[in-house]
Parts: sequence; C-alpha cells; structure tokens
Amino acid sequence: MSELYFKRPMPHGGKLVERVITDRRIAKKFYEACKKTGAVYEIKPTLHYKRGVPVRNVYREIMSVCYGFFSPVEGSMTSAELESVLSKRRLLSGWVFPYPILFDISKEDYQKLGVSEGDRLLLTLKGKPFAILDIEEIYEIDPEELANRTFGTPETNPEVVREKFDDKHPGWVIYRSHNPIILAGKYTIINEPVFKPPYDRFWLPPRKCREEFERRGWRTVIAHQTRNVPHVGHEHLMKNAAYTGDVEPCHGILVNAIIGVKRRGDYPDEAILEAHEAVNKYGYIKPERHMVTFTLWDMRYGNPLESLLHGIIRQNMGCTHHMFGRDHAAVGEYYDSFATQILWLKGIPSYGFDKPVNEVEGGLLIRPQNMREFWYCPVCKEMVYSETCGHSKQKQKLSGSLIRGLVAEGVQPPNIIMRPEVFKVVVKWWKKFNYPFVNERYVQWKEQELEVDIPDLD
Amino acid sequence: MEYILEIFLDDYRLSKIKGTPVEANIEAVFGGELKVLRLKVGEDVKNEILKAFETARIDSRACITDTPVAFRRALFEEIANQKSLTEDVARAVLARINEIKELAAKESEFLPPPEIEE
Repeated sequence: MSELYFKRPMPHGGKLVERVITDRRIAKKFYEACKKTGAVYEIKPTLHYKRGVPVRNVYREIMSVCYGFFSPVEGSMTSAELESVLSKRRLLSGWVFPYPILFDISKEDYQKLGVSEGDRLLLTLKGKPFAILDIEEIYEIDPEELANRTFGTPETNPEVVREKFDDKHPGWVIYRSHNPIILAGKYTIINEPVFKPPYDRFWLPPRKCREEFERRGWRTVIAHQTRNVPHVGHEHLMKNAAYTGDVEPCHGILVNAIIGVKRRGDYPDEAILEAHEAVNKYGYIKPERHMVTFTLWDMRYGNPLESLLHGIIRQNMGCTHHMFGRDHAAVGEYYDSFATQILWLKGIPSYGFDKPVNEVEGGLLIRPQNMREFWYCPVCKEMVYSETCGHSKQKQKLSGSLIRGLVAEGVQPPNIIMRPEVFKVVVKWWKKFNYPFVNERYVQWKEQELEVDIPDLD
Repeated sequence: MEYILEIFLDDYRLSKIKGTPVEANIEAVFGGELKVLRLKVGEDVKNEILKAFETARIDSRACITDTPVAFRRALFEEIANQKSLTEDVARAVLARINEIKELAAKESEFLPPPEIEE
C-alpha cells in the first residue's frame, strides 16, 4: 500500500533556503562590522511611477527569500539571472522561476551610498537593522521594458495574453515603478522582525510548516491560494478539491494568503486572515483539516506566472497538491480566464514551457488540481460543481464582486453566499478602518506600519 | 455583447417599485434569499461606466461590479422614477455623473459599517 502514498515533495531546487541569523550574538557581530564600513540603506516603499502612492515594499521580498518561501532564490537577481528569468522563466541553475526579484534604488541614493561590487550593505527597516545585502553586481534597468517583458504581450504570448498590459494592471505598475539601479546579491536577515497581531498567529515559514504537517500527520496537503475573504464558493472549492489525494482525500488544506499591497476594492489583509480562520473556527471545515498561513508578497496579479510562484511557495511549504480555479490571481481581462490551467495542463511555449510545468526540466513537483467553477443551482438547491451539475442554464454565479456590492451597501450576504461569522470579521475590520475594503488611506497606513516591528539589536 | 448592472433590493427598495411594471422583473436568486433587478447595457454604456469609476470591473458573469454605492443608489432612483429597466435609465444616471463622482469621492474615505451583533 505504501508505494501508492504520495511523498512530501522536496523544496524547489532541492534545498530550503534559510538565510536568517537567529543567534543574537552573531547577528550583533555582523551589525557591528557593517556599521564600521558605513554603507547603510533604509528600506523605502516603492511608489507608483505616476501617482506616488505605495505599490510595494521590498522588505516583503527579502522576508520571503530569506525564510525560504521563494527557494531556491537567495537574493536580488544578477543581470544574467534576470535575463534568464525574462526569456526562459528559469534561474541560471535551471530551476523554474517566474518573476524578477530585484533590490532597486534610485540613481541619487546610489550616488549617496557610494557602494560597489563586493561591498556589504546594511539594510534598515523602520530605522533599525534588518538585513544585509552582499553586493555581487550593480546594473541599470529600464523599468518600462522590465514591466513589459515580465508579463508579455498579446503578440509575444498569444496563447494566453489577451490585452496589452498597462497602468491599470497592479503588477505591471510594480515593475514599471522599480528604481533603475539594481544591487544584485544574496540577502541575509540579521534581526528577525516580530509580527504584529493578527499576523503573528498565521506566520509559518516553510521549515516550520513542514514540521507542523509532520506533527499533524498530514501526508497529503492541498494548498489554497487566497487574496480574498472566503465566500461559500471558495469553501466549496476547498472542500471538493481536497477530495483528491493519494489513497484517501488530502489530509490537510493549507490556506496561504498573500499579504502585501493590494488593489483598491480588495479586503484588508487583517480581515482576509481572520475570515479564513473563521471557516475552521466555526466548523465549516474542521480545524484538524484546515490551517491558515500567509506569505509576504506584493501581488503581481500575473495569472499563470503568479500560479508558478504559488506552486513554488506551497511546494516549499511541503504541500503535495495545489488547487487552481478560474482567473487565478488575475485582474481585468489581460489573460485568458483559464490561462493558469493551460500552463499546468498543456504548457505555454511562449513563456518557456512546451509541456506542463511539472514535466519540464527544473519544474515543480507539487501536483495541480485544476478546478472549474462552483455556482448555486436553483434546481439542485445547492452549490454545485460546473462539470457535474446538468442545469448550467439556470446557474447563479457567485463572485467576489457580487459580494463586495452587497457589503458596500450594508446588506448582509445570505448564509448561502457568505457565512455570518465571516461577515462579522469583515465588519470588525470595517469598524477599525472605517471602510470595508482597501482604499488609499489603508494603503498609506499599512505601508507606514507594515506587518512587523523590528526589535532593537544594540 | 450585453453587460449587466445588478441592483439588490431590500424591503425599502421593494416598496418603492411595488405596483410598477418593474416589479415583474424582480428575480429571486440563491434559493430565494436575495432579490435583484438586472439592467442590461451595451458596449458604449459599459465603457462610459468603466471610464468614470476606477474601481469598476466586469466579473465572470458579465456584470459591471465594484461601482460606487452612490452610483448604485442613483441607478435605483432612476429605475423608480422612470419605472423602467431600459438602457435609458443608465444613460440618465450617467448624465448626473459629476454629482455622483463627488459623492463617490467621499465614499472612498468612509462607509458606515452595519450594526450587527458582535
């Protein structure tokens, strides 16, 4: 029987990256040495290239790299690595990776810093020592070219790209807003940030996550990507997708929320985490089978590309399966609605995948569970799976937008759409922020406060 | 292609259209738990709405969503005034776009939370 069991996949690249110095004594020595050389840079949010509002904070990428979520990436990419990612979606080592990961600074800051290749740069966050960057290469980019090449165009990627990316696309804006000077090299966190509530309850980096799966006896685990408060359609997706597994349904469902700057109209991060927690706290999926965690990342909304990153993150966390629905991590109509599923079922040659991403060299081991849609069927009188129910003409689709519309008008969504306990979480954070969704004021506040505090190292 | 503007109906709104021809168009969805009117518009009106409101988007049901509450309130007012569900209703609302945008700008800062049991 055991030969039919699925094994927990190895981390992407074979080894979990862990670049965090936890011994305070050693960390202080690094800090003292850095202070002597004098190169110190205070991390700033990336501002929208036109509007000047925060769209990203590189600290999130440093955290995700150093705690191993993005294994095998170890730092800011060199020019050769960047070219390899943009042209082949592969790191120089051959492992699949979808996005440029870069430490960018302005020309003015570069002049002021006076660093060169071979230097070590101390990075501070909120005025306190946070990480170091060992500079291997310094080069210049054209942010617009970076943004265009990251996502592609309808001409270069006709299989899935439907519209030219522009400044209505938050991911394109993030890359377009990058500063032109790139400091490439490995990051090391020397002073572990402390997560604030409610984030502290949900922080489970890959090594600890793998240990938790062992502790719970979860051999098979299916990942659920979220950037949203769960409605009943999401709940059905989780419940039904989890029926896959090996000789029995998946033992666990790992909800992994993406936490970072989001687009206006999304829910606040705090509400997203606690609303998913409410799903298990109130027994809609029992807590023995459902766990909520997060990854720090300013979403690029890159649909198939984002799904690759999600696969990498959750494989690194130890998941055996990943569920993918329609419009995965999508915004607008830039991509085919099922672009992610095309990538995982057939491949997208123009992105460098002539086969499904599990079958290419350097590809992923996590198994996709490609799901179509759930909707309410008034004939069956229940939520149904689109490929099962025969009453598709009568379907009543449930969408996040529909629920946002109800919420904004102060109408409590019926239980069949959103669980009352989930709505209570939405209202709890609504009262705190005076607004149910992400707006400009929330983004400004959040990017000033961040999810973490930095302890003293002196 | 046709796009849809959905207007959710609570008791107050139901009373405003009671006895009008619009009443016949009320749909009960999600097991009867939600009452809704659906106003259909074409490409031009859809584009005007998307252009007017940064947050507006088209969802997987071809519905125009994430419009400001002020816009949706105005839409219902026009439906109740005109006692109709034609595209002219949406055009009449678009004619008031400056007034709606002004209200919507305030709305992006504050929306009163509902009073529900904690």
